[in-house]
Amino acid sequence: MVEFGIEFVPRDLYWKTTFYAIQAEKIGFDNLWITDHFNNRNVYVSLAIASAYTERIKFGPGVTNPYLVHPVVTAQAVATLNEIAPGRVVCGLGVGDRTTLQMVNIKMRKPLSTIRESVHIIREITSRRTLEMQGTIFKVSGAKLNFKIANPIPIFIGAQGPKMLALAAEIGDGVLINASHPKDVENAMTFIRQGVERAGKNLDDLDISAYTSFSMASSYEKAFKAVVPVVAYIVAGSPEMILERHGISVEFASKIRDAIVHGRWKEAFSSVDNNMVEAFSICGAPKICVEKIGKLMKVGVNQVVAGSPIGPNMRKSINMIATEVFPHFKKRVGEKRT
Amino acid sequence: MTLEKIARNIPASLWNVASEKLIDIVLNSSNASKMPSDLAKTILYYWQRDQLATEVGLHRVLEASMILEPEKTVDLMEELGLSKIVVMLKETL
Repeated sequence: MVEFGIEFVPRDLYWKTTFYAIQAEKIGFDNLWITDHFNNRNVYVSLAIASAYTERIKFGPGVTNPYLVHPVVTAQAVATLNEIAPGRVVCGLGVGDRTTLQMVNIKMRKPLSTIRESVHIIREITSRRTLEMQGTIFKVSGAKLNFKIANPIPIFIGAQGPKMLALAAEIGDGVLINASHPKDVENAMTFIRQGVERAGKNLDDLDISAYTSFSMASSYEKAFKAVVPVVAYIVAGSPEMILERHGISVEFASKIRDAIVHGRWKEAFSSVDNNMVEAFSICGAPKICVEKIGKLMKVGVNQVVAGSPIGPNMRKSINMIATEVFPHFKKRVGEKRT
Repeated sequence: MTLEKIARNIPASLWNVASEKLIDIVLNSSNASKMPSDLAKTILYYWQRDQLATEVGLHRVLEASMILEPEKTVDLMEELGLSKIVVMLKETL
C-alpha cells in the first residue's frame, strides 16, 4: 500500500501553512509532516492549529531532535496533540540538521545512543509508564505524564547513514529515509533489512518512507530555482559517503556549509548544480516527478514524502500533484493503490 | 459601502473564479503579515468547509485581499469586467 506525505517548513505565517495543510488533506495526502528548527515557527503550535482545521490526515513533527528538545518534552507534546486529534499523531525523530545545531553550538554527540534512548523515553512516557532510566545520554528518575493518552503513537526515525538506518528499522515503527534518489533508497534498504532482522521483525510491518525534497512546476527551470536552497542545506549536511556516491566533492560541500553557517546565501545557493539537484531532490515537470516516484516505490518504500519546497508556487504545485501525480498511484482521495 | 455588501454584488457565476484569484493574491502577497489573525482563522474555517466560493467566503477573501493588496484587488475586478465593483471598492480606499 502506498501513502503520500507532505512536509511543510513553518517559515511562512501560520495561516499559510494551515491553508496548505487543509489543501493537502483535501487532495488526498495521507500524512503531514512539519519540520522542527528553532529559527522557524514552533512545530507543535503549527501542528496544533493544522490539526484543528483538518479531520483525516495524520501528522507529526518531521522531524524533531533530542539535542534541542528533551525526549520527555517531545513525548508530552505528541501526547497533547493526540488529545486534539486522537489516532492521527505520529512522532518523527532524528538527529536534526547539523547546520542548524552548529548555529547554537550544539554537537551531535553519540547520535545512535541518543536516538535509541530517546525512542525508549518517548515510547515509555507516551505509554504512561513511570520511567526510571540511567542511559549513557539521558538519565530519568520517575518521569510520568499526569494525563491519559488514548492510543500508542507511532515513532518514525529519520535516517541517512547505514547505522542509523539499521537502528531506525530495529526500534522504530517507521523509517524516514532522508533521500530522494532511488539509488540512495535502494542502498538504504540493505541496512533497513539488517535492522529488521536484528529486531526479529517483519519488513512488512515497518513503514518505510522516502523523505524527499520535492519541487514540481510546469518547467524544470522553475522547479530548479525553488529547490536550490533546500539542496544547498542537504549537501551541507550530508555524510561524505553519500556525497561521494553522487560524485559531489566533500570539500565543495564543506564550503557550502561554511557559507550557510555564515549567512553567505548567494554563495551557498549559486554553488548548487544540476547534479546536486538530481541527487538530492525530485525536481521538475510532473512527468519527471512521476517517473522518479515510481522508481522509489519499486525499491520498496510505502510512503513518499513530498518535502519542501514542493514548488515555486505552493498552492499550484499541490494542485498539480493532485491532477498530475496522484492519478498514477492512488485511486481516489483517501484511497490507496498498491 | 461595506465589503460585505460589495461582495454581494459579485454575480454568482463569477464566485469561483473571483475566489480562486483573490486567494492567489492573498497567498502570494508580500504584505501577508498585515493579515488580521481573526480574519485568517475565519478564512481557514470557510476553506476547510469548501465555502470560499460562497457569498460569505468570498466576502472574507475580498476583505483580506483589500487589506493586503488593494490595488491588485481592484485590478482583478476590472479584469473580471466588474466595473461597478471597481467603483465601489475604490470608494472604500
